[in-house]
Amino acid sequence: MAKKFKITICSGTTCYVLGGAHLMMLAESLPADLKDQVEIIDSNCIKACQCDNAQPPFVQINDYLMSQASVAKVVEYLRKHRGEA
Amino acid sequence: MPMNYINNASLLKRQLVVRFARLMFAGELKNEIDLLPLHQAPRNSEAVRCCLHHDRAVIRYRLIALLGFAIENEKPDDEARTLASYVEEAEARGAARMAGSALTVIDEACSACIRANYRVTNACRGCVARPCMMNCPKNCISFEHGQAHINEKACISCGICAKVCPYHSIVFQPIPCEQACPVNAIVQDKNGKQDILADKCINCGKCLQACPFGAIMERSEIYEILRAITNPAEATVALIAPSIVGQFNTSLGKLVTALRKLGFDHVVEVAWGADLAAQKETAELIERLEHGQTCMTSSCCPAYVEAVKKHITNIKPLVSGTLSPMQYAGEWAGQQWPGARRVFVGPCIAKRAEAKASPHIENTLTYEELGSIFIAASVDVAECEENRADLEATSVGRKFAVSGGVSTAIKNAASAAGHNVTDKVIDGLDSKSLAILKAIDKIVKTDTFVEVMSCEGGCINGPGVISNPAVARRFLEKMLQEHP
Repeated sequence: MAKKFKITICSGTTCYVLGGAHLMMLAESLPADLKDQVEIIDSNCIKACQCDNAQPPFVQINDYLMSQASVAKVVEYLRKHRGEA
Repeated sequence: MPMNYINNASLLKRQLVVRFARLMFAGELKNEIDLLPLHQAPRNSEAVRCCLHHDRAVIRYRLIALLGFAIENEKPDDEARTLASYVEEAEARGAARMAGSALTVIDEACSACIRANYRVTNACRGCVARPCMMNCPKNCISFEHGQAHINEKACISCGICAKVCPYHSIVFQPIPCEQACPVNAIVQDKNGKQDILADKCINCGKCLQACPFGAIMERSEIYEILRAITNPAEATVALIAPSIVGQFNTSLGKLVTALRKLGFDHVVEVAWGADLAAQKETAELIERLEHGQTCMTSSCCPAYVEAVKKHITNIKPLVSGTLSPMQYAGEWAGQQWPGARRVFVGPCIAKRAEAKASPHIENTLTYEELGSIFIAASVDVAECEENRADLEATSVGRKFAVSGGVSTAIKNAASAAGHNVTDKVIDGLDSKSLAILKAIDKIVKTDTFVEVMSCEGGCINGPGVISNPAVARRFLEKMLQEHP
């Protein structure tokens, strides 16, 4: 069965230094009920930081680009959207 | 493994270093530094403190510390000084301005935490028994609006009220910097603001990590370092500490290229110095044990060495005389490239003080600062090519990054030379472990090597790291598997 959420964590240097380092703990921090619905990809720079007023770190969850991402924000998003197809 | 939680104060500092470094790369620092507080806290943005003006005042002091000055030296009229004038002073006075402690307190940012460590919460029911009031030895609890109230001036933080409250409504609230300091070197002045006592401070950086207001800053050397790497006429060497593995979510080889892209002419693995230190320290240990000494402690952690000098002088004879890996690597670089500026890149603040006293290192840079400089220079480490350092190390030295690495290296080397040595690791300095160290020769078995790390978990948990220590450890283990 395909996973419901494909999460791409940007580990470009800008994201990584400005808070993204903590996203490397996402896999360990996911609650048990979400774990099997998520595929996590550790990616090179996804170029989200190149627009004006960009607010790193960035995480791409399916089609949604999250700025100033944190483990807590990602978990909250997943909880909210897990019911959707 | 200790957690290194995400912390807004340190993220704001990194953003400021990015802005600072961008101006240095553009050659516009002196012209535009006075605009940085406005750029970092622009009009109509949301204030973090009481108002934007306070935020900007704190940012101004951060910039003064980034330029290497001690905030404590500010005279009353200096509040009206431009930041540009500080840049001029940094240029004119050079390294002379860096004298004194490596840490500085921004009074403007210090929230003057409440002295009394116990506070009554809303859970107080104003009961009839009132054991808090009845048992307080200083008579400092009264009842107002049906709830207990502690007179902060009279409270001696004994904790009896919290212990006896049937509703657990009185909580312990520490002063974070004071609680983190292993040697009582940070104390409140008469206004409640914190002062660092230079004669006690070991520059471990624990207060800086602990302060929720980001009021404690290291006095940075990025001004000198950026000036040197942007000057093609000046030769520079980056001496990278073993714990750098895993700091940028990529391989060591890519990091070497990224450092050269920044403008460093040479890159040396300090782990090579650790290889050498392990050999010398083993020989020293064997000789000392043969002369009847019970144990010997490591000497690579500068915060620990400083703690021995200032607080547990009785064990000075037990500390190894072997130089730190940084100093051996710096000495080698000095012979290889005479006159080059040698910059130690590491997780450590105590190394700043050690480097200042050493003839083998000119400057120190933290991983946090390096990360911000990469961003300012638009160097993406993960996208760099693999390359090799000018001087590489073995897995023995590379393991110095985590606690247990040093003692394992020494134990193995001693065993190879036919000596059975027991090892003991003191993983993290606090008042308890310092008390153990004070009597260490009476506690351990004979023929023991004692490794001491100020940071719990080792250098990968230093005050200047980017990665969560658990992540950094994963990278290090992967690298050691690939290059045993």
